[in-house]
Amino acid sequence: MTKDTPLVENLIEQTRPDCAVISLNGVTREYEGHAGKVCALDHASFSIVAGEWVAITGPSGSGKSTLVNLIGCLDRPTHGQLHIDGIDVATMSATELDRFRADKIGFIFQQFHLIPYLSAIENVMLAQYFHSMTDEKEARASLERVGLGQRADHLPSELSGGEQQRVCVARALINNPPILLADEPTGNLDATNQKIVAGLLQDLNRQGHTIVMVTHDPEMASLAQRRIALSHGKVFCHPVGSPVVTLRR
Amino acid sequence: MFFRLLMESFRRQRRRKTLAGLAILLGTTAVTAMLALATTIGDRIHSELAVYGANIVVYPAADQLDVKVGGVDVKPVTGAAYLKESGLKKLRGIFWANNITGVSPELPVHIAGTTPSGKAVDATGTGMWFKHSLSDGGGSPLVTGAPTLHPLWKLNGAWPDEALSGPASTEIAVGNALASQLGLRLGDTISSSGKVALRVVGIVTTGDAIDEQILLPLNAAQMLAGAPDAVRRVEISARTKPEDAFARKDPDSLSPKLREVWYCRPYANSIAYQIREAIPGARAEQIRRVEQSEGNVLKRISGLMWLISAAAMLAAGFAVSAAMATAILERQAEIGLMRSLGASKGTIAFLFYVETGLLALFAGGFGYLIGSGLAGWLGARIFGSDASVSSGTIFNPVLLPVIIALALVVAIAGSTPAIRRALTMEPSAILRADV
Ligand SMILES: Nc1ncnc2c1ncn2[C@@H]1O[C@H](COP(=O)(O)OP(=O)(O)O)[C@@H](O)[C@H]1O
Ligand SMILES: [Mg+2]
Repeated sequence: MTKDTPLVENLIEQTRPDCAVISLNGVTREYEGHAGKVCALDHASFSIVAGEWVAITGPSGSGKSTLVNLIGCLDRPTHGQLHIDGIDVATMSATELDRFRADKIGFIFQQFHLIPYLSAIENVMLAQYFHSMTDEKEARASLERVGLGQRADHLPSELSGGEQQRVCVARALINNPPILLADEPTGNLDATNQKIVAGLLQDLNRQGHTIVMVTHDPEMASLAQRRIALSHGKVFCHPVGSPVVTLRR
Repeated sequence: MFFRLLMESFRRQRRRKTLAGLAILLGTTAVTAMLALATTIGDRIHSELAVYGANIVVYPAADQLDVKVGGVDVKPVTGAAYLKESGLKKLRGIFWANNITGVSPELPVHIAGTTPSGKAVDATGTGMWFKHSLSDGGGSPLVTGAPTLHPLWKLNGAWPDEALSGPASTEIAVGNALASQLGLRLGDTISSSGKVALRVVGIVTTGDAIDEQILLPLNAAQMLAGAPDAVRRVEISARTKPEDAFARKDPDSLSPKLREVWYCRPYANSIAYQIREAIPGARAEQIRRVEQSEGNVLKRISGLMWLISAAAMLAAGFAVSAAMATAILERQAEIGLMRSLGASKGTIAFLFYVETGLLALFAGGFGYLIGSGLAGWLGARIFGSDASVSSGTIFNPVLLPVIIALALVVAIAGSTPAIRRALTMEPSAILRADV
């Protein structure tokens, strides 16, 4: 922490705002806890440009999930402006946010959150259903893309953790959202499966998806072009060899 | 996909859904049985009261007021104050003849004599029909008399037989109070002052003035009174259409066309009017006692049934509410996930509502069937196993949509709190990774 310099003001200038697909300006999220207000995210200001892969790190309880949920429009900031794809989320109605989420965001969860009574392909089709229309061929293609073409009709309970996470990736991809949000995607996986999922994310990033990934794992974090460190809800930045941070140096 | 979600969610959480379904099933069963019974009881009471109760009374026209002293009619025996018994068969010829279900003429007569034990008899006698065959020549005769109109009279022994009435002897029935006062028993004979032997064949308990009287066949009373063919008053029961404003119109003030309509409706007033036409010198009037008591009974019964139905549905609603609360709580993670996939609150609420709606549909349908069966069984127990409570009246098809709608309303109302609460939960909190 001592070596880290808060870069709250500088960072917006460093990234080109016209390219920013995600931009936060003084975003704060407070929760009403039992013992008064908890500031889960404290005046976060930074931008993420299109096609960037950003790793978010920090100790448990530092506000990483809060940040991801805000970017995913599952939650709204208490203060501050949050622009996603150029739109201020505060100006959107609840229904517009739902629509926006279906179109722009793909979630990958640590606990996968697959629906246990639906087969792998049905879990993928569920995302299609809430987006527009189900298309079994497309869903199957998406599963093939993550290497699960043969397991499409299995229930989540019949799949290994790694396979379940790949289903989750396939589901996040199915509507071709520009932004992928991954909250500790490899947190529950062994090294082999972590590699597979990491490879998938690399592919996706190469194809132009913006990825915001929460991780504890230094190896995973090193795959990202930039690292945003959180501590007690405040943002610190680590240069991880991204062009943006190189500029800063 | 929607149906897949529905189907699977039915297959899962079977216990909770069974619980909610069972609550709706029991509620609708109770309501169906209550409503089916309420309608059957209505029909049933109506038909029983209509058959047995008198709703029209016929007097001689000259006789505007009863002149009774101490319960004894003191009018002079003149032709004008009596109706002709032989004229009553014209009742079978009026427009609504088939709606007349009971006819009971009466002739009061004073009876004096001595009992076998030597006690003096000084009582009012009423001549009446007990099992008289009324016919105007064509069609099947109407077998009727006072017992038809008074089903609550209790008889010990037999009704007097009018065929055995003669100048020397006749059969009689004695009111319960009078019999015990005079120490009369079945088979005893009163020798009247007119030298007629009155043989007691029945002792009757009515709970009214008849308990103090002697009942005898009308023809015997006419002989004792020396007034052949005479009738003092006639009670008639007729199946009628409930009285409405039109029924109370004076037919003679109506246009010919409307008068025709009035005449051809089975109002008590119309039937009374037709009786006046058929029997010259008669004054026929509607008496409303029966319809009113019928209305009161029905009002009370249906009030009770509504109360039970409302209680049953309320209980079902609470049970559904409890079952759905846990069922939906168990699916919080699913709801959070669906929200993250872009499902709106409305979409998810719709899914849950359709699910409970389907549940209500099935449970309500079964509840209707079981309730109808229950109503049939209860009906048979209440009314005895006689014919008119047939399955046709119990399976009331009009009730089905009512019951289904009720089940839907209860299910939707019951699950609304749970659904609302589930949807106000922050999906971000549900999906939080490291909890
Ligand atoms: N719904 C909530 N209500 C109250 N406090 C919350 C809620 N969600 C998160 N917090 C608090 O906010 C802080 C940040 O949580 P979170 O974003 O989950 O951290 P991380 O994902 O980095 O472990 C924690 O102190 C947590 O207790
Ligand atoms: Mg977290």
